[in-house]
Amino acid sequence: MNGSDPRLIKPVLASVLTVLLLSLPWLTSDYFVMMTIRIMYFGLLTMSLCYLAGELGLVSLMQAAFFGIAGYFVAILQTRYSLPFPIPPLAGIGVAVLAAGLFGLLAIKAKGVYFLMLTLVLGQLVWALASQWASMTKGDSGITGIYAPVLFGFSAEKSKTVFYFFQLFAFSGVVWFLAALKRSPFGLMLRGVRDSETRMAMLGYPVMLLRYLAFIFAALVAAVGGVFFAYFTGLINPHSVSLTANVEALMASILGGINTLFGAVLGTGILKTLDVVLSGVTERYVLVMGVMFLVIIMFAPKGIAGSARQIWEAYKGKMLSFLALGNKTAKP
Amino acid sequence: MFLVKMCILNGFTLAALLFIVASGLTLSFSLMRVVNLSHGAFYLAGGFVGLSVLNASGSWLLAIGVAGIAIAVLALVEERFFLRWARGNDLIETLVSLSIAIIIGDLVLVIWGGYPKTIKIPEMLSGAVEIPILVVYYPVYRLFMLAMALVLGGGLWLFLKKTNLGITIRAGVDNFNMVAALGFNVKRIFTMVFALSGFLAGAAGVVGGTLMMLVVGEDWRILTLTLIVIIIGGLGSLIGTAVGALITGLAYSFATAYIPEFSLFILFLPVAVILSIRPQGLFGKEAA
Repeated sequence: MNGSDPRLIKPVLASVLTVLLLSLPWLTSDYFVMMTIRIMYFGLLTMSLCYLAGELGLVSLMQAAFFGIAGYFVAILQTRYSLPFPIPPLAGIGVAVLAAGLFGLLAIKAKGVYFLMLTLVLGQLVWALASQWASMTKGDSGITGIYAPVLFGFSAEKSKTVFYFFQLFAFSGVVWFLAALKRSPFGLMLRGVRDSETRMAMLGYPVMLLRYLAFIFAALVAAVGGVFFAYFTGLINPHSVSLTANVEALMASILGGINTLFGAVLGTGILKTLDVVLSGVTERYVLVMGVMFLVIIMFAPKGIAGSARQIWEAYKGKMLSFLALGNKTAKP
Repeated sequence: MFLVKMCILNGFTLAALLFIVASGLTLSFSLMRVVNLSHGAFYLAGGFVGLSVLNASGSWLLAIGVAGIAIAVLALVEERFFLRWARGNDLIETLVSLSIAIIIGDLVLVIWGGYPKTIKIPEMLSGAVEIPILVVYYPVYRLFMLAMALVLGGGLWLFLKKTNLGITIRAGVDNFNMVAALGFNVKRIFTMVFALSGFLAGAAGVVGGTLMMLVVGEDWRILTLTLIVIIIGGLGSLIGTAVGALITGLAYSFATAYIPEFSLFILFLPVAVILSIRPQGLFGKEAA
């Protein structure tokens, strides 16, 4: 991915980022910390989508369903059955993964546009369940009063800073997990499947199983985001599993660039910032977003991170040729 | 027994509406391989255009016509200026249609507001009649919808099988390059079929808006139901769409009557069963 970068840049950037993230609550205001928390949990949702898109070449419109299933289970188990702390989030993530196991059986058979269409339908069915099964999910008004737990004597409900650090820990864990997964033999096999499925099948790799596992891993990432979403906002309603939520995740991943984890977080950050800025200026937030989405798909389908890299590569090539030859042969 | 009869009748009439909407989508898909996600938005916009025309003129038939033509123009613009631009990459095309759906949805909200509205059933089609064999009274309008779907289905079938244009379209599905090489302007035919698909969606909006509510959000519900119909029936097959619409309509109607909390979710069952037996849908061709 970044083989041509000088070796030092990466660790230096990583340490600067780590220090920044760790000192964020003392460097900035509460509002900024809250924004960062939101970007992190929605970022997990976007990452889940980007993982499937990047590693398998499949665009899913149901990742928010797993996000929401986990959130709903946290809400229901905590408010309705009053189960103690580690159970609701663990069960929520577990059920979301089980749901992915079930839906995955159907979805992985489809490819390309068929996959998109199928996941749209499956996601809408989860939305229908959230909206219509009112005796369990409280219908369209949703479930309120979800309290974040107390961990090691620190209450994540009372202090945003504590919440921030718990989430940062989980978030970094997931990012590390996904990055490791991408580099693992499993990740390489997946990329093989993406690039030439028949060849991988001929070589004896279990193509379907690989796709199925990737689908489940992606759901797991979204589910972790959903748990933090439910705890942070204290409420969950059908909007979080709606098509709009899925489209927002898709928009964020296309904004940032669908192939990288960094792009996923960047895209979410941009989208959520725009969300705040635009809703202050205009009521036609959705319209502006739709137009923006259209423009990005048509003119920069690789996203901002992708386009930036493209420009960087082009610029670098020009620089090298300029230095080497001492003349301007590169086209504008 | 009465409930069962009503469920069956309601199932058939819902299937009729779904068929009218889905036939447009399957038509555009079979030729262009675009899963046009703005089809639900076309339906909703068509319904609201029809409502305004009806309020202005008082004629329900005129409302259908104007709504159909308005949405056909909209579809034409979408195809000509956006989809054609992205031709060849079906994923990009689908995402373009998705963003256009979002834009149309919000414009509808701006123009007609967020409150649910219904179109008044025309004088001639209001009231109920007794159905001889089943011995139940049933709204005339719903029976009319059923007849309309049958006529439309028959008409489309004849159009695709018997007319020169229909034959060209089907030939274009099988071998785009050959048909283009024979001197047909396949691009123009694409645009025309897409406009026809828009016409069907817009007209269906008026027909459906007379039966159910027109409200923002309905676009996605109709799109979901339509996609379910098409997943069950198989993409690009008119008969498949009819069968898919029947299965979906009946399942939804029975579920609404007996287990309302799961009425939409229950549609998951036929989708799951059919996908695990025949991933390409009941009448779909093997994916190329």
